[in-house]
Amino acid sequence: MSRKNERLVNLTIALLATKRYLTKNEIFRNIEGYEGSAEAKERMFERDKDDLRKLGIQIEVGGLDPFFDDEAGYRIRPESYALSLRDLTPTQVTLLSLAAQAWQDAAFTDLSQQALRKLTSIGLDTDTSQLPIMAPKLSGADENLRSALDALTSLTTIEFDYLNIQGVAQKRQLQVYGVQARQSHWYLIGLDTEKSAIRNFRVDRIQGEVTSIGKAQSYEIPPSFEIAELEPAIETPLAVIQVRPGAGYQLRRMATTVETADDWDLLEVPIFDLDFITNLMLWHGEDVIVSSPIQLRTAVISALEELVKIHG
Amino acid sequence: MAKQETGLARTARLLDLVPYLTTHQGIAISELAKTFNTTVKEITDDLNTLWMCGLPGYTPLELIDLEFESGFVSIRNAETLAAPRALDRAEALSIYMGLDLLSAELGDSNSSLVSEIANLQEQLRSQLISAPQVQIEANLNSEFRGLILRAIRRRGWLEITYHSAANDQVTKRQVAPYELSQSGSHEYLQGYCNSAKAIRNFRADRIVDLVEIADQVWTNSEISANDEAIGYQVTVHIASRQVLEVLPQIAANSSTVTIQGYSAQWISRAILSLGGQVEAVNPIEIRAAVHARAMATLENYH
Repeated sequence: MSRKNERLVNLTIALLATKRYLTKNEIFRNIEGYEGSAEAKERMFERDKDDLRKLGIQIEVGGLDPFFDDEAGYRIRPESYALSLRDLTPTQVTLLSLAAQAWQDAAFTDLSQQALRKLTSIGLDTDTSQLPIMAPKLSGADENLRSALDALTSLTTIEFDYLNIQGVAQKRQLQVYGVQARQSHWYLIGLDTEKSAIRNFRVDRIQGEVTSIGKAQSYEIPPSFEIAELEPAIETPLAVIQVRPGAGYQLRRMATTVETADDWDLLEVPIFDLDFITNLMLWHGEDVIVSSPIQLRTAVISALEELVKIHG
Repeated sequence: MAKQETGLARTARLLDLVPYLTTHQGIAISELAKTFNTTVKEITDDLNTLWMCGLPGYTPLELIDLEFESGFVSIRNAETLAAPRALDRAEALSIYMGLDLLSAELGDSNSSLVSEIANLQEQLRSQLISAPQVQIEANLNSEFRGLILRAIRRRGWLEITYHSAANDQVTKRQVAPYELSQSGSHEYLQGYCNSAKAIRNFRADRIVDLVEIADQVWTNSEISANDEAIGYQVTVHIASRQVLEVLPQIAANSSTVTIQGYSAQWISRAILSLGGQVEAVNPIEIRAAVHARAMATLENYH
């Protein structure tokens, strides 16, 4: 194993140091570790190239001399190999470190520590004097979010069982376009390939594991896709509700408009999810009356009737 | 997570050791092992491997020159690998998202930092194949978390402004924080609440404001009182997704369960919010409270 590691490091050094493309023959002749028959060396080299690419190292193929029927050559460009974040100020290094430290969940520690080591290898000091006391945290990130982010960076379609409103798990296929952290939950947004429509999925409602299906680079994120524009595009309907003065703190924070009056204040609240909003209306009991839409009003009234019936 | 290290992870570490050593000349092997999250033996093996690597020719002139017999590592003749490797896509995306969080939080208060963050994000974007969309909102403000962690370390008191969903009230309380922990999707601050004279859990995203109470430190004798949870018996009529999320103690196939809770207000509101999918059985006062509250609310609609 250590022989192979040694060979991979030597190959990286040689391909980085060269100013021109190295042919396979030059590689086999000069780089230590390529042994055996011509075929064996060939196989070894193919595997080594794959391995380096898996590490994110870009090997450039080229150097075909137009005057000769030459064989292809290889090199690694130092500018693609090295960290491209340059001319960082100590404050920027601090910001990057804080961003890496925000991932404290187990599924992400290897990733963020690796990134952090690369950043500290720049050898710049950090400077926290410009920043308030901060301990950022991206919480609730699990293995499934990690798998989904890997799929997003490699553009691989994923498949998972998703708990629907009835509490039944259903198989879904998704091309992930983006992620959102909203109200303490992670959401995946993308193309539901079966429904051929943009859908979002709450990560903690995924049952079991996210698996990838098919190959990497199997889709593209449409350039016109913007999460920030997604919500107005769907046009969130508004509920008009009456709330007793002093009550409904959470509702007031959600509200788009608040009109105060003596006995009841009038609020408009966005309905992102009908079940969620029904639940929230009921939570507030007699402090809230739903005026519209009629579906929400009916849902609340029939839920109350059911409650009275079973508790009577 | 005890994962078997793959050969490739080892190669990555070998490549990353060189730039790290270049800027940390003279680092102790033990510290190096800690930084790379591995053992001294593994790191020593790595150094022995690197020592055999270099430019073609592989004479002492071309080989990486490592000195580590003293227990402290220095490196020379490794210019080719001296620049830190580029972040891979997953690393770049994770940093990008972390920056998004910082930017959202610094928001209005610090525009120069926000523009530095935007600049960094722009540089990271070029490393991602196609620009993924990311939108991050904080669960608990990072500044609050920083202050909470500091108070836990110092055993200091905090004054928090907290929205209690059970009472639908916003109040100020003095809290001696013990712990900040994650449970499911939510983060909780656990501490001794001076108003309740008991240990309480506060959901982090409901903390509206938070200040340190200067120079006050709590002692064990101050925070002894505690109260006991009460068991509430409920019958589940429909185990919908919503029910399982509001009352996670309920298993998907159970019919009658006992839920532990500290607040009668909370349990009756929770059952009310589920609109008949769950029925309060015992204690009888809770059952009556749910009934009365549903009747009173229904009255509003007549």
